[in-house]
Amino acid sequence: MAATLRQEFTKGFWQTIAPFRLVLGLCPTLAVTTSGINGLGMGLATTFVLVCSNLFVSLLRRLIPTQVRIASFIVIIASFVVIVELVMQAYFYPLFKILGIFIPLIVVNCIILGRAEAFASKNGPVLSVADGLGIGLGFTLSLFVLGLIRELLGAGTLLEAPVLWESFEPFAFMLKPPGAFVALGILLGLMNLISQIQARKG
Amino acid sequence: MREIVRMIVVLSVIGAVSGVTLAAFHRLTAAPIEYQTIKFVKEPAVKKVLSGYDNDPIMDRKKLQVGTDPRGRPLELTVFPAKKGGETFAVAVEGTGKGYHGEIGVMVGISEEGTILDIGITSHTETPGIGSRVTDPGYTDQYKGRAAKKGVAVDAISGATYSSKGVVAAVNEAVGSVAKFREEIF
Repeated sequence: MAATLRQEFTKGFWQTIAPFRLVLGLCPTLAVTTSGINGLGMGLATTFVLVCSNLFVSLLRRLIPTQVRIASFIVIIASFVVIVELVMQAYFYPLFKILGIFIPLIVVNCIILGRAEAFASKNGPVLSVADGLGIGLGFTLSLFVLGLIRELLGAGTLLEAPVLWESFEPFAFMLKPPGAFVALGILLGLMNLISQIQARKG
Repeated sequence: MREIVRMIVVLSVIGAVSGVTLAAFHRLTAAPIEYQTIKFVKEPAVKKVLSGYDNDPIMDRKKLQVGTDPRGRPLELTVFPAKKGGETFAVAVEGTGKGYHGEIGVMVGISEEGTILDIGITSHTETPGIGSRVTDPGYTDQYKGRAAKKGVAVDAISGATYSSKGVVAAVNEAVGSVAKFREEIF
């Protein structure tokens, strides 16, 4: 039990890290990662929704008739998204302003419905929470790293603190949508390279 | 048949529970959300249109009841007074007007003598680069020093007639409410 629990939790960090391995949830990944903080905020909001929806879907999995399961999952997910939206608006207003439309759009993030359908509706609450937490934090990590890289190259800062030498001319391109694709592509390539090297060794 | 009843019951219960939860959350967060919008949206505009005060216009804000909407709920107007030595000498009031893409919110600073000190756009959804030019100082500065009467005449932005009209309507609304509630405000 403990071993599977750990496995379900850690798989989200490398093995099935959502934006890179499954290439899922790309819309927020590309759109909001203009800085490390934005990526982190978006990732944590998604993690909260994912953990809560996984927990409730798994608790209710025997009660929900299979024919209406998708509708029920969507209602559960949408409720948590609205809660996140209200709480963010009430306590983290500047972040709420920046993330804007992408918070309500967490409802249609395929990672969340995907985990509800593929995992939480078939497993117990403890395993489902571990799964949601793992996948969610993996997603957060991806967005955070991508945000940091784009912020560093595009604005010359890290978490809003200037880190590069004074005469550094920022590539404003990195903060634009095409820059997001380039950064994501390079990261994806690097991860595949590491996996290949590991496979050859093993 | 039993299957169908079960589906309907389960889905309705989930919907009802989530509805009640969300209503509760909405109520819980209403006050902090109002505070945050005032702090991040209204405060910069209030600071722009008022000057020379020694109080905190945000803390001293007053709510006036200005009537009721068609459903009988009270309509409120928030005024931000600028005081010097305890005397209110100017006030910032927000008005709204219909622009090209929806409501434009404008904060208007009005002195006790009845001149417009400055205006600041608080919210708008106008076309970026066209209608959004109403937020430029080149446009808003035209209102400085005008008499706070209905029908302020300013140059509109060419290509953004509706947006300009929306701002004028919003300024008129703010000026109108200050004129109407002069007694309570000053």
